[in-house]
Amino acid sequence: MALAAVLGLSACAPGGTAATPSQGSTTFAGGTPTCGTKPVTMSAYFETGFPLPKALTDEFTKQHPNVTWNIREDQFAVITQNAARTLADSPPDLMRLPSIADLAKEGLLKNLDGYAKAFGWDEWPASQLEQLRVEKSGARGSGSLYAQGLNFSLTGVFYNKDLAKQAGITSTPTTLAEFDDALAKAKAKGITPIAQFNGGATGGLAFPLQQLMASYGSPTSINDWVFQKSGADIDTSTNQQAAQHLETWVKAGYFAKDVNSLDYSGMMSRFIGGKSLFIFDGDWESGNLDKQMAGKAGFFLMPPATAGGKQAAMSAPLTYGIAAGAKHADCAATFLNWVATDKTARSIDVKVGGSHPMGLADAYMPDVDSSTVTGQTLAAGAKVSKDNGAMDFIANATNAIYAKSWTPQLQSLVAGRVSADDLLKSVQSDYTSQIKQ
Amino acid sequence: MTGTMTTPEVGTPSTSASLRQERRRSTRRRFGREALIGWLFLLPATVFYLAFVLWPIISTINYSFYDWNGITPATFVGVQNYVALVTQPELLGSIVHAFELIVFFSLVPTALGLVIAATIRGISGSTLAGVARVVLFLPQIIPLVAAGIIWTWLLSTDGLVNQLLGAVGLGGVTRAWLGDFNWALPAVGVIGAWVLLGLCTLLLLAGMSKLDTSLSEAARLDGAGAIREFWSITAPLLKQEIGVCITVTVIAALASFDIIYISTQGGPGNSTMVPGLQIFYLAFTQREVGLASALAVALMVLVLAVVLPIQRVFRGTDQ
Amino acid sequence: MSSVTTVRAGLPGRIILILLMIVTIVPFVSVLLTALHASGTYPSGVDLPETLHWENFVQAFQVADMGALLFSSAIIVLAVVPISMLISTMAGFALGHLRVPGHRIAFLAFVLGLTLPLEGIITPLYYQVRSMGLLNTRWAIILPLIGLYMPFAIVWMRAHFVNMPAEITEAARIDGASTWQLFWRVQVPLAKPALSSLGILLFLWTWNQFLLAIVLVDDPLKRTMAGALGAFQGQWGTNIPLLCAGALLILTPTLIVYLVFQRAFISALLEGSVKA
Repeated sequence: MALAAVLGLSACAPGGTAATPSQGSTTFAGGTPTCGTKPVTMSAYFETGFPLPKALTDEFTKQHPNVTWNIREDQFAVITQNAARTLADSPPDLMRLPSIADLAKEGLLKNLDGYAKAFGWDEWPASQLEQLRVEKSGARGSGSLYAQGLNFSLTGVFYNKDLAKQAGITSTPTTLAEFDDALAKAKAKGITPIAQFNGGATGGLAFPLQQLMASYGSPTSINDWVFQKSGADIDTSTNQQAAQHLETWVKAGYFAKDVNSLDYSGMMSRFIGGKSLFIFDGDWESGNLDKQMAGKAGFFLMPPATAGGKQAAMSAPLTYGIAAGAKHADCAATFLNWVATDKTARSIDVKVGGSHPMGLADAYMPDVDSSTVTGQTLAAGAKVSKDNGAMDFIANATNAIYAKSWTPQLQSLVAGRVSADDLLKSVQSDYTSQIKQ
Repeated sequence: MTGTMTTPEVGTPSTSASLRQERRRSTRRRFGREALIGWLFLLPATVFYLAFVLWPIISTINYSFYDWNGITPATFVGVQNYVALVTQPELLGSIVHAFELIVFFSLVPTALGLVIAATIRGISGSTLAGVARVVLFLPQIIPLVAAGIIWTWLLSTDGLVNQLLGAVGLGGVTRAWLGDFNWALPAVGVIGAWVLLGLCTLLLLAGMSKLDTSLSEAARLDGAGAIREFWSITAPLLKQEIGVCITVTVIAALASFDIIYISTQGGPGNSTMVPGLQIFYLAFTQREVGLASALAVALMVLVLAVVLPIQRVFRGTDQ
Repeated sequence: MSSVTTVRAGLPGRIILILLMIVTIVPFVSVLLTALHASGTYPSGVDLPETLHWENFVQAFQVADMGALLFSSAIIVLAVVPISMLISTMAGFALGHLRVPGHRIAFLAFVLGLTLPLEGIITPLYYQVRSMGLLNTRWAIILPLIGLYMPFAIVWMRAHFVNMPAEITEAARIDGASTWQLFWRVQVPLAKPALSSLGILLFLWTWNQFLLAIVLVDDPLKRTMAGALGAFQGQWGTNIPLLCAGALLILTPTLIVYLVFQRAFISALLEGSVKA
């Protein structure tokens, strides 16, 4: 009898009981938000292994002694798994975010439009915040602002100068053909050309793949796809060329044998340890490499398919957001604004983070030696913005695309279980079905 | 969880019939008040069981007919999630993987356990055997997460397994075991076998020590070899212990989660994806709660469908 | 057993047993050696570092906040195990000894839960615990675990009570004992062996519970040991020596308890598999 009653009750649709987080309308009323003067403990959720956020919060506390931080850290893959649950159940004041479209659409993130107005973020170069805007439909690239960056990073190719010399590579490649040539030279000398991470839940071959896509095609169409513009397709002819090019690298044995079990820090330790000539990575490692391989590491942007062509790079703000239910949203927004405007914060951004700070184009920049990796990546950033070559990461297109599609597909490509053509087809079909939801 | 146990024997062979009858009479006599008190004794356990097991089971079944992202209202989709279950290769694949794991989680520990138990039976009273009992149980004591962490390290490119292979001249077969499409699932299986082998061996050994040694002595005198003796005398009498081993390990295989979550996260590709992990990803990362629930229902039914026949085979005629 | 067979089974048996022990132990040794390498390096297999970095254990103890972890796990165990034992013993008593009307159906309902994989109900449990407002509290682990243990614990305790002779009850009844007195004063003391085995099993399963912890509780300091280890791996998984040190540290309390109570543990685990 009790069972029958229970069954009767259950015949209603789920969803009614779930607590709906307060909708992302701006609660901020006006004036300039501050952290006040009373003691505040900010709850934060950061990514493990990167010293930048911690360095910034420490400096912030130094300048605003009433603000202290309660920081939880996880690897990025774990943050991706937890993001929605954490934002809904224990809303952090400041959190490192994975793909923001779904989170924003579901009302889990604070709408930052009010803060943007109060702090004048609208006057920054529009491209900086583009990726952090989400339409009501869930499309990204325009609409309300749902996150901020601690800086904006840029990806390319890092190389070990000693190994390059050993392999007889005298100058950085200026075309894809020259790059192929360099890879072949290293392989012939018995040097592992690329020990790229691609293990577990981290499909790191997406880095070279997307760089190749931009060499063959245009970053605009890739951005449209990532931003979920209607009709966008990843399975284009130039992208096919890129995937095929990657496949030839795999077949030629340019990647370390065990990339499918190599994780990110494994890659870094091999590169720093001189066991890999190249890696595809981002400028968030610049500061680290300048310290650990001082003078021995270099950086170049992915070369274009033809000489003199435009160059592009994955360039994304180091995305941080405020939970819709955050207790200290004003203080979090104040912090984000401080990161982009305070002189010391901007220096930390460059020297610890290795990437370009957010903010006005003519804002303060610390002096950087142009021969360091940091100097090279900053110069590369200028070239990319001149070529209009900034792309968002293809892994950010939907919430599940990286874990469910790119990673398994790229691991299959390495194992020779899927062809370059089928790889893009199946990613596109996953993408279509995920967007429909 | 290796703690999930086997279906018990219903009925009480040790209670004599007359006692039982008497008790039944006395029960009837005090039916009203006595029954009420009895039910009160049952009540707290029932409340917890209803609230945190039966109700969630019913909810799972209910969710499985909806398309729900866990946040916005759900839409009824009928059996669509179940259709997806049998048509989407990665979902079906996870169930196939769970069955492949049975080979490693169940057959290997049971078979190897039998051989080992039979071999060491003669020395089961020695000091060495006493130490061995403590050691062999270690994998049962530690969390599966720890087993996962330890073995992920052993099976890595620079890990002990490859080191040993290289040392015996098999450098050619070394690889990143957990990153290899063909080897990741067997490698995960080896972790499970390592965890469960000790338990099975000791279970079987305990069963053997109850056996009448005169039977095997007699067989020896008849000139039966060790192998024949094992198959014709030892194995049949151990039917119940073997059944327990298989049941416990099969459940561990079908419901595996911890080890795989730690060691491969289902990769490379989806080559080690199992239902437990897939449910977790679907429900909490991809937020397709309906689909996750359909897979959960399938998993619960599957475990019952596999375990009940095993119980029948190994327990049925035993008493 | 004749001395002939002992000798015959002796040597190969000993060799196999020692091999098996090596296979069981070596993984732990490899992890220990790795834990002694410099933090952040990538050592290989079994490799004794030149300098032993014992400080990794200190660092792991600090970053994992082991003191708080032990405290949290202890609280969860102290809530789950006694409550589960009490209410399952009461239920086992009602089903196996009092044989209340409907006991067969009730028993069957509990038996059905024995094979339930936790993953089958983890999704609704999450939404249920959330609507109760208990996410990220230790209650989120405690309450569901008690419910989940009921099938096994009740079957276990019922098996004990079914085999208790009725005379004990009759005698107590004649002395005028109420049902509760009969249960608490007479039956529970007699059930001590069954109860202690049950307690050991529930302790171990609670301590090692992983899935509930990672789904329902974000804060590692409010989790079980296994859940905390999961968080430790999530955060430090990229620093192999530190991870190994942390894993060993997190194992230590269970290992100590196990080595002290090894006899009881082993017989409880063996019985736990067979008896139910």
